[in-house]
Amino acid sequence: MAKKKADKQIFDAGRIHSEFFEMVPHMVAVVDRDYNIVAANRNFEEFFGPWRNKKCYAVYKKQGGPCADCPSFEIFKDGRRRVIDSVVVDKNGRPAHNVVRAVPVFNTGKKDVGYIIEMSSPVTDTSRLQQEVSILFDRVPCYITVIDSDYRIVRANEKFRESFGNVMGRHCYEVYKRRNKKCPNCPASKTFKDGKIHESEQSGIDKKGQDINYIVSTSPLKRGGGDVAHVIEISTDITRLKALEKDIIDAERLAAVGQTVAGLAHSIKNILMGLEGGKYMISLGLKKDDRDLIDKGSEMLDRNFNKTTSLVRDFLSFSKGRLPQLEMIDPNRLVVEIVDLYKDIARQSGIELKQVLSPKVKKAPLDPDAIHTCLTNLVSNAIDACQMAKQKGNEVIITVRDDRNTLIFEVTDNGAGMDYDIKKKIFTTFFTTKGGKGTGLGLLTSRKLVQEHGGRIVVKSQKNRGSLFRLEFPRQRLNYIYKEGRKGGDEEK
Amino acid sequence: MSNKKKILIVEDEPDLVETLGVFFRESGYETIAAYDGHEGFIKAEKDEPDLITLDISMPGESGVKMYRNLINSGKTKNIPVIIITAAPSELKGFIKRMKSFPDPAGYFEKPVDREELLTKVKDLIGA
Repeated sequence: MAKKKADKQIFDAGRIHSEFFEMVPHMVAVVDRDYNIVAANRNFEEFFGPWRNKKCYAVYKKQGGPCADCPSFEIFKDGRRRVIDSVVVDKNGRPAHNVVRAVPVFNTGKKDVGYIIEMSSPVTDTSRLQQEVSILFDRVPCYITVIDSDYRIVRANEKFRESFGNVMGRHCYEVYKRRNKKCPNCPASKTFKDGKIHESEQSGIDKKGQDINYIVSTSPLKRGGGDVAHVIEISTDITRLKALEKDIIDAERLAAVGQTVAGLAHSIKNILMGLEGGKYMISLGLKKDDRDLIDKGSEMLDRNFNKTTSLVRDFLSFSKGRLPQLEMIDPNRLVVEIVDLYKDIARQSGIELKQVLSPKVKKAPLDPDAIHTCLTNLVSNAIDACQMAKQKGNEVIITVRDDRNTLIFEVTDNGAGMDYDIKKKIFTTFFTTKGGKGTGLGLLTSRKLVQEHGGRIVVKSQKNRGSLFRLEFPRQRLNYIYKEGRKGGDEEK
Repeated sequence: MSNKKKILIVEDEPDLVETLGVFFRESGYETIAAYDGHEGFIKAEKDEPDLITLDISMPGESGVKMYRNLINSGKTKNIPVIIITAAPSELKGFIKRMKSFPDPAGYFEKPVDREELLTKVKDLIGA
């Protein structure tokens, strides 16, 4: 009887405070010693489903008996409030993670606990997120460190520690690069200064002493709206990519050499035929006492000896298996020089030579002589193509620009253009459309020089419409070759 | 009107045109010359030579295209053609692209052995 009365008391209290009871942004339930839920709010019912005349374990966990070590039940013994982490089952049978704050309700005027009020809030999302974040932080295939304004590492992920060892409290430059002072061009210092994200390509040394190439991105961690207190550095290891890139550049260089040798053989064949032909004409002329034939034969010999000389000269300049002599130059300057050089020659043939410069283009490590040679070849080809054109009003345009971190030079003309057969051949043999005038080395040399810069030549052409030759230099490759060249230079010294 | 057999030399290398011309004329033939496939085909139709020597890689219209035109033209399809190539790889490419066409009468690789070439010409059209 006493119990029923007490239940009613609580229930009345609930009624009195029903508004408050329903307003609490938690799931609230009142449980008695026999595991009965005697009251619960709407939040609770919405989450767990019907609860009236049910045991707490049936509602909370959807199970048939009390939990083995029910923490709430302890409260009945010692009367102390508790916060409990609990895995429960919602009304749809889905497990959820709740935090439960349980407080005792003492029987009126007595020291024994009559009921427990349990306030639950779901933590499923935050707890899972926390877990995800910590897995991400440690296992993402990147190095992650948090550094303070003194460039000391205050946090580092597992991946980082695997490669660089125990690094807590040490300076990032000391750990990444074994330096004793801040690196020049440090992206983190930029982020500390302007609060923005910065990125750069760097190389460092891991704990085993291996060289490591990485791309690092630095992001600000701000406290409130104030200054950047910490910077988070995220680095991707690109050592293997770098090695591959080097292999590709080497392979391209080798391929260029192979094509050159094949082309050279072809060219020598032609010269041999000329020499042999000249010899034939002279001996025939002598036999027949034909002065004219002797003269023709002798001219032929002359011509082919001269061809040999110019071939050898071109070939020597072509065959230098060296790294280009790179220096930081303004690409615009090169274009201006070429236009100055060819303006008059072009005008004399009724062709307009135009330049499209780009003030935005940054300086680039280029071999000025090499690029000069390439552009000279392309422009003189373009002028020849215009002279061969059927249509009038010809022009040659040299453009320089940057496109997606690639430096681009373009030489376009509206001259004779090329058909499929010629386009296919321009780089493959010592091919020339200029009869005795050309050695057929111009474009080959250009391509070789461009490849030595890690770049490539793209050709577009249409018969009777004109041609476009584009030199593409990915800036990352230029920088790489620039660094390699400087390393090599140091070793030579 | 001469009753000499006429050979059309299609070749972009002027020295070779000259040498072959002198050589064939010395061997009792009449010669005409063209410096690319376009000119070559026009001369083949107009002058109706008895034989054609044809270079494959030439600026302007190539030997491949001219050979096709020769086969496709009723006037020229029966003229024997001797291909003179600069490289074996070029010849392979030629054969591959000419699969559906009849084989040319002969192949010679540069530098050309003139005596062998003459033997072939005599076989094809007589002295």
